[in-house]
Amino acid sequence: MVTLAPMPEPTVTPSAAPRPVAVAPAAPANPAARAVIEIDDVDFNYGAARALHDITLNIPERQVTAFIGPSGCGKSTLLRCLNRMNDLIDGARVSAGQIRIDGVDINDPRVDIIELRKRVGMVFQKSNPFPKSIYENITYGLRIQGQKSKARLDEVVERSLRGAALWDEVKDRLHESALGMSGGQQQRLCIARAIAVEPEIILMDEPCSALDPIATAKVEELIHELKKQFTIVIVTHNMQQAARCSDRTAFFYLGKLVEYADTRTIFMNPANPQTEAYVSGRFG
Amino acid sequence: MSATTENQPLPRLATREVLLRKRRGWFFGMTGDQVVKYLFQGNAAVSIIVLGLITFTIFKDAVGFIPMNHANLAVYRLAGLEYVDLYREQVTAHSTMSRYLADIRARQLDILMQQEGLTAAAAMARLAAFDDFANKFADTINEQETLLGTMSDLVTAVKERQKVAEDLMVARQNLLGGMQGAAPDRAAQLQKDAAAIQIEVIDFKAEIQPVLALRPELVAANASQIAAMREIAAQAPKFADAELSRRMGKFQGFVQGYFKEVEVIAGRMAAWDQAKPIGWLEAFNAFAFGRKWVTASFWQDWYGIIPLLSGSLLIAFLALLIALPLGVAAAIYVNQVARPAEQKFIKPYIEFISAIPSVVLGFFGIAMLGETLRRVSQIPALDWVPGFPMAERLNATTAACLLALMAIPTIFSLAEDAINNVPRSFKEASFALGATRLQTIIHITVPAALSGIMAAILLGFGRVVGETMVVLLCAGNRIQTPDLASGLGVIFQPVHTMTGIIAQEMGEVVRNSIHYRALFMVGVVLFLISLLINWLAQKIVRRYRISIG
Ligand SMILES: Nc1ncnc2c1ncn2[C@@H]1O[C@H](COP(=O)(O)OP(=O)(O)O)[C@@H](O)[C@H]1O
Ligand SMILES: [Mg+2]
Repeated sequence: MVTLAPMPEPTVTPSAAPRPVAVAPAAPANPAARAVIEIDDVDFNYGAARALHDITLNIPERQVTAFIGPSGCGKSTLLRCLNRMNDLIDGARVSAGQIRIDGVDINDPRVDIIELRKRVGMVFQKSNPFPKSIYENITYGLRIQGQKSKARLDEVVERSLRGAALWDEVKDRLHESALGMSGGQQQRLCIARAIAVEPEIILMDEPCSALDPIATAKVEELIHELKKQFTIVIVTHNMQQAARCSDRTAFFYLGKLVEYADTRTIFMNPANPQTEAYVSGRFG
Repeated sequence: MSATTENQPLPRLATREVLLRKRRGWFFGMTGDQVVKYLFQGNAAVSIIVLGLITFTIFKDAVGFIPMNHANLAVYRLAGLEYVDLYREQVTAHSTMSRYLADIRARQLDILMQQEGLTAAAAMARLAAFDDFANKFADTINEQETLLGTMSDLVTAVKERQKVAEDLMVARQNLLGGMQGAAPDRAAQLQKDAAAIQIEVIDFKAEIQPVLALRPELVAANASQIAAMREIAAQAPKFADAELSRRMGKFQGFVQGYFKEVEVIAGRMAAWDQAKPIGWLEAFNAFAFGRKWVTASFWQDWYGIIPLLSGSLLIAFLALLIALPLGVAAAIYVNQVARPAEQKFIKPYIEFISAIPSVVLGFFGIAMLGETLRRVSQIPALDWVPGFPMAERLNATTAACLLALMAIPTIFSLAEDAINNVPRSFKEASFALGATRLQTIIHITVPAALSGIMAAILLGFGRVVGETMVVLLCAGNRIQTPDLASGLGVIFQPVHTMTGIIAQEMGEVVRNSIHYRALFMVGVVLFLISLLINWLAQKIVRRYRISIG
């Protein structure tokens, strides 16, 4: 089971008094890791309103990168740029700069957005299983790609559910509705659904914000496991969470990247006074 | 707010007193909340009462139909019309055979003129032998027709007398009813008038005797007819053409069948019992399962709902068949695919359709659509379509096309709502897994909105079944059960509908007559259908809410 060494704070509202933050990345981040996502001087607009200003950062392979910052600072916007989910919003566009994944500019018109989204999976803030059975939820991604073999689908279901640490809890009710699961289970199902299509990168937008501490701990443990295989980018405004599960942390404020460094550095020794103020809970 | 508290600190009451203090309102002692509450309660009560009254009135007038139809059927039996109708079947069967012969003749003429290239006069000459045969055959029914005429006259006379008696009864009732509250001398006059009315009491048992007395003649006529037909049939002309000789063989089969039918009918006429009472269920079934709607007839009125019900349903299903794909597809397109500019244009446009008065649509149907459809159906290249060329320009399909137009806004709006209610997060999740827009629509959006869409379809159906003006103008208004034997061509037959018949006949019927009440019965059936549809739609929508969670 999970060791809840420092009890995670259920609320994220920083109290007035600064308080120490537990920082426990299992190993120091591997500085030699290859940058799989390169974000270069990116500006982003919702119509006329600019939501991101000149963002530059590289996200290393098979590590957990956390985006932190107060509400409305553009964390989700940047995250959704990485699989072009913002395309669904009218008038939203990257107005300057480039985002490259594995060296390819993802906003290039030649890029196949379907393939991009297969390679860059996403888990949303509010768990959103389809109103279908657990089995159908997991196999959806493969089915729409034309996978019909029952044996293959069965295998993927088991592997994904095991990968999301959910197999033992649901293996006897795979064909029941996913909406009958608890909130934490639903969110892990969404993670299982994302890994079923074998992405390279998994984006998570505040995946635990609607979960209780126990379910949160389970998901955090899962993230720890998943990074062996996937590159993970996680948005959170729970600083303890960023501290516990990420290798690198980027702090945003008002649509700008304020500081980006090793998680340990950000929390213990931030270079920027704004970062220092935020991680110590003096503003939020 | 804070200013007042600063300026004059009010004396503070104890909590105990504040809690139990009675609140006094500004409107006759009622607070605003209470006023609003009573206002709405009052409104709701009024609507419920009005609805109840409507339901009650319709049902009350409709229920009276059963005893009246019971009496109607009783006279039909007592006066002997039923008996004569049995015999009429025999005559009808015979004339069906004569028509078949005429059909054979037409084909023969066709062959002679088209294939052998004869002139009309020459072809006619070649047909002389056949015509002789056909005429001789047709003559074999003459005796029966005379007898049928005699019997019909006898029973109609009895029925007429019964009708007069009934009318006089009503007149006397009215005179006596007028006495109440009238001045004494006027009342006395009325009473005298009423007493002066002579009402004949008809002895049906005696009256039927002359009809029954004809039985030996019927038997004799049948015997001589069968003998004559046997003889004639044996001399039937032979044909070289395979098709014609096949038809002639079939005709011989009909003749044999007719002999059997004569026997059966004779048996039924012998078994006919004037005194057999009519059951209440029979009076109801004559409506619910009756295949004839005949009113103001010299012979016998029938109030069977089947031709109207089937006409209404046929049109409604056709309309739905057209409106469904268009309405749902438009809803999916507008909600899922269209750009906002398109949405702004398409949505009000479709919803505007429902603003067109239905009489205008009906007008368009008569002036344009019916004629266009018929022109199209006459294109020789389209002959393979069942029912083409159309015989009538106003028929079930003409009406259904226009009704579909009226159902589309209903289906579209409700289906669009249902699709819109599918949480955006489902769609996002699907896209994030690499689904295309089309895959997302087919696998996620539509299934999640399915119950809502089903409800939309049902309500669209309700809209179509209840529509009156368009069907009245464009359905052809022929009271007949759509003939399914003609296959798909049935959709081009003119039909009449429940709504149409009410609109058409209600203005002319005598209040409280059987016809009047029969129309109310039709109204009740319509009412029940809408009730059922709405109930189903609500049930489906409720289940849908639960499934989305
Ligand atoms: N769909 C949208 N249309 C217009 N503006 C948006 C939209 N989504 C977010 N924004 C704006 O962009 C900014 C960044 O939002 P977001 O990325 O959601 O912040 P965060 O996830 O850090 O809380 C906010 O000011 C927000 O109001
Ligand atoms: Mg966000």
